[in-house]
Amino acid sequence: MSDFDSELDASGLNCPLPILRAKKAIAAMDAGQTLKIIATDPGSVKDFEAFCKQTGNNLKSSGEEDGKFIFFIEKAA
Amino acid sequence: MSHRLSGPERRESILSAAQGLFASKGFHGVSVDEIARAAHVSPAIIYRHFDSKQALYDAVLDKFSGQRQSYVDTIVNHGTRFEDALAGMTQVYISNIAANPDILRIELHSLLEGNPATHAFFQNRWKSFTDYIEFGLNEYLPYDLPDREKIILSAGLMFQGMVREALIQKCLQPHDRLVDLSLYELSHELVTLFLRSIGINKTQLSRKATISG
Repeated sequence: MSDFDSELDASGLNCPLPILRAKKAIAAMDAGQTLKIIATDPGSVKDFEAFCKQTGNNLKSSGEEDGKFIFFIEKAA
Repeated sequence: MSHRLSGPERRESILSAAQGLFASKGFHGVSVDEIARAAHVSPAIIYRHFDSKQALYDAVLDKFSGQRQSYVDTIVNHGTRFEDALAGMTQVYISNIAANPDILRIELHSLLEGNPATHAFFQNRWKSFTDYIEFGLNEYLPYDLPDREKIILSAGLMFQGMVREALIQKCLQPHDRLVDLSLYELSHELVTLFLRSIGINKTQLSRKATISG
């Protein structure tokens, strides 16, 4: 889908590693920038919803493609 | 006596009876008839809710997979430092088992029974820790360290063995020798020892990360 500023491949990793790596990646970004995350753990869908709810970052989209889960998260101001 | 339960309540009561039996006898040691007797229903009622004994067993395991949200909390609320997140995750894990030791009993039975699906379920729970440790050490250990790969793999196993044994000792076979050490203190000490063994000496594991209990 849309443009993104950074990409994180968390394929093959179990919770909470994808979340931890996303948190680190987002910390290094500017507000309004978008991080694309690729994960294979089906639990990551719920995890990223919870993560964005708690951190206030915007989960712009969440979808599945060929067994991979793709998320786009926009860093909150 | 309990024939007025609603559908979901009935399902819950069957699950709870099944959980206790699977925990004490393993998957193969229990028949659907036995679960039916424990739940005060006929086997036909059980099959109305679950297609098979395996489906019932899977539903019991499913009930145990509710700890994800807590790991997210740990990562969001503790720092991103390796040791803090590891301590937080460990607390979440042991709190879950302490609240419901049946899951540990079912895990130990499943290790002997060798059911591939169940094995995968429990391996996946530990994989959260082993992945985390392998990933963390990969970033942390010097690249020229001899036997680096072997150390990283062994460290994950060491951690899993340590935490599992602490849970067995405290939740399943309470031991006089450890009576003065609560599960939480024990886990805190073990995490500290683990960190020291991989060279993270100056841990600033705050007591805040330790759940009181």
